[in-house]
Amino acid sequence: MAALQQNFSKMISAQLRSKANDFLNSRKNANNLADIIQLFEAETENFTSVLLAIEVIFTELLKRGDLLQVVVPLKPADQSPEALYKKWLNECYETALTHALQCVKKGKITSRLQALVTLCKLMQAEGNYPLEPLNGYYFPSVRLKNIFNVLLDSEIPMSAPITRFQEFTEYRDVQQFGLKVLTTLAYRKSPSHVFIQNYLELLDKLLALEIPTEVKKAKGKEDDKEDKVLCSSNGKQFPFSPVSCKRYANRCWGFACQWSLCEDPKTHRRALMLLVERLMPLLNKPQLATDMLCDSLDAGGPISMLGLQGVLELVRHHNISYPDIYDRLYAMFEPEMFATRYKKRLIHLADIFLSSTHLPESLVAAFAKRISRLALVASPDDARSLLQIVANLLLRHPALKRMICSEDSPAIMSNDPYVMEETGASRSRALGSSLWEVRALCRHWAPEVTSAATRVLASHNARDPPLSLAPPEDNEQFEAELKKRFKTIEINFIRPDGMCIPSGERLMTYWDLTA
Amino acid sequence: MAKVKNKRNAGLADKVHRKKSEGVKKKLNPFEVHINKEKLKVLGKKSKHDRGLPGVSRAKAIQKRKETIGTEMKLLNKTNTFIDRRIGEKSNNLSAEDRMIARFAAERAKQHNKKSIYNLADDEILTHRGQTLEQIEKFDDPRSDDEDEDKPFGGLDDDFVSEGHFGGGILSKTESKDGAKSHKDLIEQLIAESKKRKAEKQKEKEQTLDLTEKLDSEWKDLQPVVFKKQSESLIDKLLADAEKGQDYDKMMRELKFDRRGTPSDALKSTEKQQEEERKKLEEMEKQRQQRMMPEEEMPKTAKPTVKHRSADDLDDNFAFDDEKEIMLAYDKDGKPLLPDHILKDYNVPNAKKKFDDGVSDTSSEEGDEINDESGSDNEVNGEADSEDNDEDEQKFEESKEIDENSNNGSDLKVFESDGDDDKSNSNSEENEKLESSSENKRKRKISKENVKSDKNDEDEIDDDESDADESGDDENEASEDTGSNSDEKEQMDVVEEELGSVFDVKSAEGDKLRELLTGKTPSQQSTALSKLIKSYDPSLSPNNKEILSRLFAHLLQYVHDIFTDLNDEGDIIKAFLIFDKVAPYFYDLIHINKVSTKKFIVELLKEKHDQFKRNPKKVPDLNTLIFFKLVSLLYPTSDFRHPVTTPSLIFMTEILSLSRFKDAYSVSRGLFILTMILEYTVLSKRFVPSALNFLRGIFYLSANTSVLNPVQVVPPFRLHKDSKILNLEQDCSKMEVDDKMSAKDLVCEMDDAFKIKCLHNSVFMLREFFDNYIEIDALKALFEPHMQLLGRIDLEWYPKKIVSKVTKVLQHMKETLETKTYALITREKVRPKALRLYEPDIQEVFTGSKLSKLSRDASERKRLQGKYKKEMKGAIREIRRDKAYIASVKIRQKIQSDNVRKEKVKQIYKDASIQQGELNKLKRGK
Repeated sequence: MAALQQNFSKMISAQLRSKANDFLNSRKNANNLADIIQLFEAETENFTSVLLAIEVIFTELLKRGDLLQVVVPLKPADQSPEALYKKWLNECYETALTHALQCVKKGKITSRLQALVTLCKLMQAEGNYPLEPLNGYYFPSVRLKNIFNVLLDSEIPMSAPITRFQEFTEYRDVQQFGLKVLTTLAYRKSPSHVFIQNYLELLDKLLALEIPTEVKKAKGKEDDKEDKVLCSSNGKQFPFSPVSCKRYANRCWGFACQWSLCEDPKTHRRALMLLVERLMPLLNKPQLATDMLCDSLDAGGPISMLGLQGVLELVRHHNISYPDIYDRLYAMFEPEMFATRYKKRLIHLADIFLSSTHLPESLVAAFAKRISRLALVASPDDARSLLQIVANLLLRHPALKRMICSEDSPAIMSNDPYVMEETGASRSRALGSSLWEVRALCRHWAPEVTSAATRVLASHNARDPPLSLAPPEDNEQFEAELKKRFKTIEINFIRPDGMCIPSGERLMTYWDLTA
Repeated sequence: MAKVKNKRNAGLADKVHRKKSEGVKKKLNPFEVHINKEKLKVLGKKSKHDRGLPGVSRAKAIQKRKETIGTEMKLLNKTNTFIDRRIGEKSNNLSAEDRMIARFAAERAKQHNKKSIYNLADDEILTHRGQTLEQIEKFDDPRSDDEDEDKPFGGLDDDFVSEGHFGGGILSKTESKDGAKSHKDLIEQLIAESKKRKAEKQKEKEQTLDLTEKLDSEWKDLQPVVFKKQSESLIDKLLADAEKGQDYDKMMRELKFDRRGTPSDALKSTEKQQEEERKKLEEMEKQRQQRMMPEEEMPKTAKPTVKHRSADDLDDNFAFDDEKEIMLAYDKDGKPLLPDHILKDYNVPNAKKKFDDGVSDTSSEEGDEINDESGSDNEVNGEADSEDNDEDEQKFEESKEIDENSNNGSDLKVFESDGDDDKSNSNSEENEKLESSSENKRKRKISKENVKSDKNDEDEIDDDESDADESGDDENEASEDTGSNSDEKEQMDVVEEELGSVFDVKSAEGDKLRELLTGKTPSQQSTALSKLIKSYDPSLSPNNKEILSRLFAHLLQYVHDIFTDLNDEGDIIKAFLIFDKVAPYFYDLIHINKVSTKKFIVELLKEKHDQFKRNPKKVPDLNTLIFFKLVSLLYPTSDFRHPVTTPSLIFMTEILSLSRFKDAYSVSRGLFILTMILEYTVLSKRFVPSALNFLRGIFYLSANTSVLNPVQVVPPFRLHKDSKILNLEQDCSKMEVDDKMSAKDLVCEMDDAFKIKCLHNSVFMLREFFDNYIEIDALKALFEPHMQLLGRIDLEWYPKKIVSKVTKVLQHMKETLETKTYALITREKVRPKALRLYEPDIQEVFTGSKLSKLSRDASERKRLQGKYKKEMKGAIREIRRDKAYIASVKIRQKIQSDNVRKEKVKQIYKDASIQQGELNKLKRGK
């Protein structure tokens, strides 16, 4: 069935292509255009072929200048057939664009994406060959505004098209004009969550290309040439101004700040991501975000992790002091963190936070203890990176060595002095404890973890520089294990008599499978 | 003469010397001492000649010569000498009486020489009739017994004796008739009588001799007659003997050329065998224990001692990396099999390149690799010979099994037919549900089953089997004929079967195997398999090894198939029964070809893992889980790192930490995996966090949690999600529930019995994990959450039996944790490093000479030569001095004799002058 449909659509696209070509070849076939535009009203999910045909036709027309309308002031409209034809063509162009815009919202995802691409392509063509004769650089901001209007829908999440749109935000002019257009669209009171989502996503994508800050500007002259510009065929230089970009970005964020970003966790997360990843360096007064970040820190879970990153940024570059930042960080080390996407970020941040050598010992010891506790329930990969943090802590804070090799008389305690439940890191009495957890990890089943744990325990007299955390490895443990070479393949030395191993059979003790 | 002289003078010098040394040392006269000046002082040198007594020593020497050579000279040319050997004659300090006593004692001592000290009467010689016993025992003449019978007194009769010797007197004289005979007559009579007797005796003797001779001659005549009969039989006997001898030879030769058993140890008794077996197992166990340790903790003794230690060695364990020894092996085409870097380094000709990442490679290269592997198998499994014995034993056992099975077969048949019915029914039901692709497969299978189920006769099966074998053979040959390309292709196919999840097997082997095995009872399948494996024993044909490794792949496939899409309890039980019987053959097969079988099983795991990764939220089904069990059956799970068990453990932990457990299907399979993890780590007691997390999750699911009172959960379980699915909703304290999980639980829906069993078994596994990890210091941190969760389970709703068990476990854990003590981690006491000591360089003797550089023999020779020279010099000097002494003595004698002569001449002159004077006086007087 599906194959059949595909076949059908292929046929249609072939037909459409020939129709489009006929239309372009001679004006006699002008009705073809009307036919094609008619097809937009058809009841179908897939407009790809139609969109492609439209794209081909109007790109060609724009290139030829058939759509060029010369409006001479104080002169009645030209009523010649040529002018009428042009007018009709222009009308067709407008209708086609509106149809395409609607297509972005409906139909199958591929068709929606194609609609977006078509619109962008047409925008590019229009930028290169403006509808009106102009001197200097021209960017069809109206078209972009239309596109944005569609993308910022209040009901439909547009993440797929927006992601696709990213390939166009790589152009400097799109970025600059996009930000500008976005400021005009942003003013709304209490928009829907979906709108906020879309808005944040779009802003995120627009800022994907880094906007050079002042410092960079001096050096970056040559880099500017390499910047891609969407509408640049006429050889007109696009005046890119990072300052205005920054201004627009600030304004965009300003609008966003007025909304209730923190109500929906998803929105909240996205906003934080945007703020932390993209906006922080651009903001004029990042201090203003402090409140939001602090609120996020309290929210718990991934949101607080992102908030933490923002706070770290503030603390490091903007002289903000946050009262109990370490306690908050301490509270984040919970087993739940393994389920979140941001665990690597957290581990990385924790390593940065704890790299200060001015921290009190008791605090660092509490972290070491807590992290190694956490490693007890972690997966092998996580356990390894956690152990790396512990190793770094031990290297940076020599006083912590008493946790792996205590010099005191070997006192035997009936309990671990460390209090896991204590929220204040410094009050958890971790210094009196030892890293028994790391020793337990020496008996971990995964060879890598075992060796990492042994390394930690053996580091009492090491003076190596602390290692930066290993970059997240993509190749999986399973695959890596399979690639290992072994000298011999050991085999059990007792022949099993059935499905029971002679020593250490457990399946049969808990399962009764054969009766 | 000379001898005597020598004897006389022998040891004269020694004797003199001895006498000297015995004498008391005189005090030195300082005027006699001459001090030799030392020109070079050498420390520690003993100087013998620092001072000398020239006068004394010269006098000594002269005295010595006087006593030795002097006396010798005195005795020169003298033939005889008197030596006084009387005891004590020469020593003056003995009185005459003492001298006597000493002499007597010497005499007595001479009698008692050491030899006869215990033979007190040895000097008496025992005699018999005047002869010593030795003489009597000589028995010289055999005929002497005749003479012995002679009468005493020279054979004279009694009358004569009484007459002649004792007769006389008046009375007897008168009685004589012929008057008194004269003495002369008597003597004559006596002589005559004795002569007569002698003659008689002579005659008698001659007669007896004659008779003997006669008898002898007669006997000689008679001899042939007497022995005739016997001699014939003797010949026969001899002939027979000869023949017999030939028989013997023949037999001997036969025995000689018979195949001999190689000399070996004596047949071992069963106890001894058992003992050896036990020792072997112990050794293996020890090795296993060693492999359990991580590499870092390996005992250091295993480290090979460094051969050479330079004197510049800083003792920092720096060593040049020895080139690793690589076994050069060749694959089928005669190309060396070596890792890449070596190929680069050594530029090995003809070498094939190996690709490690098979993903980007084309399939042909993959085939190559497999080829390589199989090639290397032959090299690697060089111990095949040693294994042969084992295999033989196994075969023996198998054949036994077969017998048993054939007995059991009839019993099992009933069950089998039931099972078949079930299966076909369930299959037909399934078919409706299944998707189009698998539908075909199923249908085909069923049709086969139907065909098969008609003929259950074992004979037919055997026939089939042999057919299959033959066809397999044929195929193999054909493939070999067509060359290596097709061979590779075939292997590729095998791999593809493994890789592709499409199960229509292209090569016929897999189909045949399935045909062979389907529709039989598990024990029949086992029999068939054992026969199949035996018929392809690697010792029968070189490529059987390869065939068997392919069989391994097909068996994997078969096991996979029987565990796929099981929706019925009966099916599952049947599948496990089959697996139970088939599993040992996997073990046999991996012994035959370790490398390629490992490759197959790893490929299978990889494929399953990829499948799992596509949807990690879903727990894999039994057709994946069963292979974890298979791996634990075949490979040692306790190894620190193992090419098969480690990946499968990774796989299992990934399942437990990534999947969602939200229904009976996933929870039961999760428990299955948990059991397997427990089985994997029960020996090594390794710490598996994801297993504990899973247990925690299970307890969370069965605990009575509320939103108000949240507990900490660990991923993959999430707070307030799926919670309480294992929580009992009603009072089940009266329910009777089995202890063990069963096959039913793998397919059933969530019900109370399932929940109870889940809790029961997980609590017991928790206890087992707890006991395994009891040595870990952080035990409390590990198990406290579990105990908290267990405390929140509504135990009063569970059956009493189970409640008591659970509380017992909880009690046990609590007690252990309470008694657990914590000792701070201290630095391990490092033994102080011993000072580095070098072996002392010991040379034989320090002589300070150049001799030490020579060889032993040469230096000895040189030393002796030097000594000889020295002695020679000394001897020459002595001789010279002797000569001087002799000359001085001679001159003295000469002077003396001259003086005597002069005296005499003077005397003569004096006398003569006196005479002349007197004469002159006379003349003048006249």
